[in-house]
Amino acid sequence: MTARRRKRMPRLATALLLATTSLASQATTAAERTLQLPEDGVALKASPLPGYLKAQAYCVMCHSAEYMLYQPPSAARPYWEAMVRRMKQVFAAPFDESEIPDLVDYLVKTYGNEQSR
Amino acid sequence: MRRDRPPRSPRHPVSPTGLPSSGHDADPGRRLLLRTGIGAFAAAALGVAHRAPRAAEASVDLPMVNGRRRLVAYPGKRPLIVLTSRPPQLETPFEVFDEGLLTPNDAFFVRYHHAGLPTSIDGDAHVIRIGGNAVAAPYELTVAELRTAFQPVEVVAVNQCSGNGRGLFEPRVTGGQLGNGAMGNARWVGARLKDVLARARPTAAARQVTFDGLDFALLGSGDFTKALDVAHAMDGEVLVAYQMNGAELPMLNGFPVRLVVPGYFGTYWIKHLSDIQVIDHVYDGFWMKTAYRIPDDDCACVEPGTAPRATRPIGRFNVRSFITSLRDGARLPAGQPVEVRGIAFDGGQGVREVAYSLDGGQSWRGATLGEDLGRYSFRGFRFGFTPQPGTHDLRVRAWNRSGQSQPATPTWQPAGYMRNVVESVKVVAS
Repeated sequence: MTARRRKRMPRLATALLLATTSLASQATTAAERTLQLPEDGVALKASPLPGYLKAQAYCVMCHSAEYMLYQPPSAARPYWEAMVRRMKQVFAAPFDESEIPDLVDYLVKTYGNEQSR
Repeated sequence: MRRDRPPRSPRHPVSPTGLPSSGHDADPGRRLLLRTGIGAFAAAALGVAHRAPRAAEASVDLPMVNGRRRLVAYPGKRPLIVLTSRPPQLETPFEVFDEGLLTPNDAFFVRYHHAGLPTSIDGDAHVIRIGGNAVAAPYELTVAELRTAFQPVEVVAVNQCSGNGRGLFEPRVTGGQLGNGAMGNARWVGARLKDVLARARPTAAARQVTFDGLDFALLGSGDFTKALDVAHAMDGEVLVAYQMNGAELPMLNGFPVRLVVPGYFGTYWIKHLSDIQVIDHVYDGFWMKTAYRIPDDDCACVEPGTAPRATRPIGRFNVRSFITSLRDGARLPAGQPVEVRGIAFDGGQGVREVAYSLDGGQSWRGATLGEDLGRYSFRGFRFGFTPQPGTHDLRVRAWNRSGQSQPATPTWQPAGYMRNVVESVKVVAS
């Protein structure tokens, strides 16, 4: 943290505290409900394949790893490719077209019918 | 349709003041980062916060290859079967259906499509917008007004996920690998959608009505929006419901208001309902045009492993029935009379008859129907038998008032929707 920011911190903290206090009475009504969800229950399976790090970046940014883990082990390459493309085309997953082969390769070899047994 | 919500990360909830709920993170720059999808991306790229499962966690084995699932209590819920943690998709353990005809709120299944979930909602002040290019008088409605300005209507209705039982398909299909617990029956109270729409004065051009809720796609694309034909939306049966089994809706079932579409699959029952648009055309968003479609034929099925030639949006439930008091593989004392209980339902004709078989479907007799809570509800049934030593293959089969029933052998479709085969429960008496 820079010296300049450290100097500003007390004022900022006071302002935030005041904002919290003044808004708390209006914001907390009998009708209000909040939601806080537990952490993900499973992580992606580690792999030396280059798609593993890409999946960590691009897949689990939006959803947990059960989406892959619980697919039937018979799930074949065309399924994984179709899903990866859907994530990009429909849901705007921010990977490049050139990264699709690595992602698909990791998924089908880790969760699909190209797993080593 | 509506793009005015900033993307927020549900993993880092913010309070209604816009301040981080933890109270420790006072750096506005970091706060902004965490509130965006790119922030979540950055966190994931750094390998943050995806913990490994604990060894001692409760689990259940669904009857399918790769069917082990964790049991976790989410907010407002008892421990349920976790299909996915984020967004939450939770299946009801099947023994719950033997507790009674109404599924308790804390056991009711949960299904979201996007991890962008509302972190805080005021159940009185929450606003539903009614508009679109085929209404004369668009308006906004708070839930407080919805409860007081419209006649309350009550219906007992089953909600069932389109993919309920998908994991049981053979050959296996991809998608959410559910057992048969993605269904539930509740007493809903709400306003008629017809009355809510009428106040906006739909024009003669009205063709469909679209529905959107507060849950949102993290990267702003592919939002979960569904549509009904205007005649269906105006039929007086569809409700904007604010009460479930005598209580407010659980947060994870759509607090404070959700659409209730009796007899129709859960995909149309939009949660945290916030936006209704009456439009002059057929809505063509991803979740109507591409997803949730079934083969366009009488059985909604195709030869296993093949693709349908034409499809249509999924609609009403087909007929289903289940034994609830005995699980597959149960052991019984031979020579002792046993009462078997179960439930049956359909898409709204009402259950006319349930038959049972003790010999794997060779011979059938009539079960006794229980209390009638309405044609959209689970209908209970029971029958007795005294098992001789050995294995008994118990089956039940229901008919609705139109004579529709369940197939003896499973039908198949690539998306794994609408499973309704006659199920088998094998018990061993000794």
